[in-house]
Amino acid sequence: MFTKIEMLDVFYQTMRKDIMKIENKNYGFDFINKLTSGNATLDYIQMENHFIHKYRLLDISDQQRKCLLQGHINQEYNVCLYFDETANNTLCFNIDNNYKKNNNEIIPEIELVVDYLQQHLGTYDMEALSVKSGRGYHVWCRFAKPIANQLLLGFMIRISAKALASLHYNKHDYHSVKINMSPNPRFAKIISLRAFGSKHIKTDSFSRIKTIDGVLLNEEASWQYFKDYTTNKTIPEQQFMLAYNDLVNVIPVSN
Amino acid sequence: MKVIAVDIDNVLNNFSDTLAKSNFTFNDSYGLSCQDFEHYLTLLKQDAWAESEFLTSKFSDFRHRIHAQCYLLAQAKPGSVQFMNWLKANDWKIIICTKRNLRLVGECTKKWLADNHIPYDYLVMSANKIVFCKLWNVPYLIDDDILNIIHGEQYGIQVYYPIMSKHSSVTSPIAKGFSKFEELEQCLPK
Repeated sequence: MFTKIEMLDVFYQTMRKDIMKIENKNYGFDFINKLTSGNATLDYIQMENHFIHKYRLLDISDQQRKCLLQGHINQEYNVCLYFDETANNTLCFNIDNNYKKNNNEIIPEIELVVDYLQQHLGTYDMEALSVKSGRGYHVWCRFAKPIANQLLLGFMIRISAKALASLHYNKHDYHSVKINMSPNPRFAKIISLRAFGSKHIKTDSFSRIKTIDGVLLNEEASWQYFKDYTTNKTIPEQQFMLAYNDLVNVIPVSN
Repeated sequence: MKVIAVDIDNVLNNFSDTLAKSNFTFNDSYGLSCQDFEHYLTLLKQDAWAESEFLTSKFSDFRHRIHAQCYLLAQAKPGSVQFMNWLKANDWKIIICTKRNLRLVGECTKKWLADNHIPYDYLVMSANKIVFCKLWNVPYLIDDDILNIIHGEQYGIQVYYPIMSKHSSVTSPIAKGFSKFEELEQCLPK
């Protein structure tokens, strides 16, 4: 029986253990002192709209990491994780609304892109884990072994191109959505993603999983699905390479 | 506790002058035509934006890339380094407070501060510095942003600003402009 911390540890196995970003509405020098009471150092603070604060922490010890993950599971704050700089066993398409106006709305094009991504991944027998997050979705894939970031990015660029082309063929403006791809070798050190189990800071709602049938699960069912996905849907490295080689032949762009 | 927030661009460095006077050479990596490159550069040097209904656009990407080059090229203003060290020596808690996207340019920002021997306690990215100062009980802000100069007073924030041509129409009974950093040392509590 896995605990939730163990589930996160297994899923995000290759992500950096010593760097995290904490996201919440707490602020002030006392709060910073608490965050850095272990060995961790505060790299920088981001203050965003609605008083949301993010704190990038470096040099996190194993013990503090466990404490921070427990706080994440207890929904005291969100923990955001950083990819390894060379190779990872996960990838993520981060899909957001790209309109300036009503930017927090999940527009129909976002739902469509999630579906198209799942369909295109499905042609290679890859099932994705789609998590509703903020103003969009995080669509994750998990592999049995770490794969070089450059290969993961090459794969994501081509799958994203296919998904956006599908959007375009169906008479939607592909500029309306933004797909950020991680890990990107240029940004692996600096771009983090919320770990599963987070809650939306503004709305307090849990970041729920959307199944491939389009059903949005509640919190408990989302954790169960996350566990099942980690246990049963991990993609073999060989399967990734077959898909990658096929995509490179079909879309021979440089990275 | 004496706490102060200090902006970087146009306060500690000469960012706008650097942007205006530097030559940026066209190359394919911008993903633009030569014509668009020149058009966007002209807009950027005028502190203007290309119209777009989208958050991320070719212009926003271009803007980020040119600004990132300026962050490295910009020079510390005369007296700024000495002033920051004066703050440190006089037991001020120093918050570097910037609108820069520290996710993307945090490393080059920290390097520039270190290379120029500028001491600080915290590095903060905030689009609304007055709200940040209010929330964090930071009573002093040094910043060139006109909105902050005008609105600092109503939130109880004492704003100091380096006088620039863009401030010619600014009227604030409380915010204080300065020409030299030495003037600030006289205004702030020891």
